[in-house]
Amino acid sequence: MDSGEVFRMESVTKSYGGIRALDNISVTFGEGLTAIIGDNGAGKSTFMKILSGVTIPDHGTFLLHGHPIHITSPVEARKLGIESLYQDLALADTLNVYANMFLGRELVKRIVGLPFLDERHMAQLASETLDQVRINIPSVHTMVRNLSGGQRQAVALARAIHFKASVLLLDEPTAALGPKETDSFNRIIMNLVDEGKTVIMVTHNIPQMMEMASRVVVMRAGTIVAEMSPKDTTQEEIMAFMVGSYKTVKSPQNFQKGGD
Amino acid sequence: MVEMKESNSERQPKNGRFASIHSPYATANIRILGILVILVVIFSIIAPGFISFISLQSILVSTALFLLLALGETLVIISGGIDLSIGSMLALSGMVSGVMMSHYYHTGSGVGIAVLGLGIALATGLLGGILNGIVIANLRLNPLIVTLGTMGIFEGVAELISNGLPVSNFPPSLFSLGNGGFGLPWLLWFTIAAVLFYGLLLAKTRFGRYIYAYGASKDAVVRAGVNTKRHTTWLYGLAGLAAGLAGYLSTAHFETASPVAGSQYLLIAVAAAVIGGTTLQGGEGTIWGTVIGALIISVLENGFVIVGMASFWQLVAVGVMVIVAVYFNEIQRRSRLAAVGRRQRQ
Ligand SMILES: Nc1ncnc2c1ncn2[C@@H]1O[C@H](COP(=O)(O)OP(=O)(O)O)[C@@H](O)[C@H]1O
Ligand SMILES: [Mg+2]
Repeated sequence: MDSGEVFRMESVTKSYGGIRALDNISVTFGEGLTAIIGDNGAGKSTFMKILSGVTIPDHGTFLLHGHPIHITSPVEARKLGIESLYQDLALADTLNVYANMFLGRELVKRIVGLPFLDERHMAQLASETLDQVRINIPSVHTMVRNLSGGQRQAVALARAIHFKASVLLLDEPTAALGPKETDSFNRIIMNLVDEGKTVIMVTHNIPQMMEMASRVVVMRAGTIVAEMSPKDTTQEEIMAFMVGSYKTVKSPQNFQKGGD
Repeated sequence: MVEMKESNSERQPKNGRFASIHSPYATANIRILGILVILVVIFSIIAPGFISFISLQSILVSTALFLLLALGETLVIISGGIDLSIGSMLALSGMVSGVMMSHYYHTGSGVGIAVLGLGIALATGLLGGILNGIVIANLRLNPLIVTLGTMGIFEGVAELISNGLPVSNFPPSLFSLGNGGFGLPWLLWFTIAAVLFYGLLLAKTRFGRYIYAYGASKDAVVRAGVNTKRHTTWLYGLAGLAAGLAGYLSTAHFETASPVAGSQYLLIAVAAAVIGGTTLQGGEGTIWGTVIGALIISVLENGFVIVGMASFWQLVAVGVMVIVAVYFNEIQRRSRLAAVGRRQRQ
């Protein structure tokens, strides 16, 4: 399903004090689902936060459809069509569904020249998006804290869909979900992939990614140690790259610095 | 669950998403309004004079000053913070504007000077609040500690510029503003305007939405791209602004500016917000709830006086109500967590 380059990052490095969370990473993403797999502390979340503008790297360049871009903040990232779902489901619990979907991008209407929230319009658009992706949430007026983990994740997903993201960043999106919710969530993701979106998903579920992903990127200790198609590899091989028992670098296109 | 809906999803009527009352606070606000009504009914049965126009008006006037403080405090508490300095801010703003007015006033009605005094009080409150906000947002310090500090600082400065003495010698127009009226006492017109301003700001604007969101999840707001430093700075600025207005009106109403004015108001302002449904963990509350909470406190105070009970009973009653309100909130929170947990496991 890979059809050319959508998003490319070159020589990205990020250190926290003495810790090299990301060590000179270069990688290209195309359309379809790319799975990022790696042990805890491998730098996966740091990588995703840099893509989403939450974390600023020490070095690195980015290209979107071949054009250099600067992801300096989450707002900047979203303007470029890069939307994120976070590991910790960062929603405002006491706000309702549509208020969360539009958080930071509220629609306003002018009354005597002053900008007031256009609640009805936001509720209607949110409702339409939820219908469109067939996500079942009782009411867009429900406070998010009354939703289950899966519904909450669906709200975050609906936000990305409504704002027409072309690149979707998912950091362990199903970590807090039960098996049934995980299945439904993955089905929505696959629909988005079919629509031609670029989805980058951090996950620990290797068997699932063998089925869903068109590409697997394995990270270890702040570097990319392998990039491959699930067709060309096995779960055992991925595991071996994760824990570092393979010392070579497996990469069809790029040549990275090897593991330690 | 995130379920794919069946193609003909009768389970979910389309209009289910557009119920008529959307505010999550509607039932809570109706409940405390009920408590207010019950209290008024009880007091007017025990003391028939209670319901008179004069009595009601004096209840409203005695509510006005601490309600103004409670408006700003409500916003701050919903954002997950607290402002302990608003009582001293009332004193400081009243004092700064009082000293200026008494310095420049010589003869005549002094309308210009009274208006200037209002501007100075508002500016003092706003600047003091912004100072709170800048320190809290930029140094990322706990608002409880910062405003505990500025509580002392503001009162100290108020004492300094007045040598610890009350100030008077104000223009007569200030007194008419503090005690006269136009249909209603001027004090109430100012308070109504402030209630509308803070109420609309909180419920109908982006700024207000970010107050709730910040109280619920700082991360969500940061990731939504909101400039949280600027937001926090203005938020505490607005709490100061309300205190500035209260300081000016206090000076006008009591015809004196005292460095210790308003010191008793901080706790009842917080109590009004809490009784009105604002929760101290942040993310929840309304201005309307706070208005009702403040009225409940005033009705208790005036009611006890009319009934002939010692007024300290009002303190006891307010204290009990605060604890009951916090307790109810906690019960609701626990049952909600249990309900979500049950659904999650299904
Ligand atoms: N904000 C931070 N401050 C300091 N160290 C961090 C921070 N974020 C991540 N790290 C460190 O960077 C490394 C990579 O972390 P992370 O990207 O969260 O890994 P993963 O998501 O793969 O588990 C870890 O050693 C972690 O402790
Ligand atoms: Mg992680």
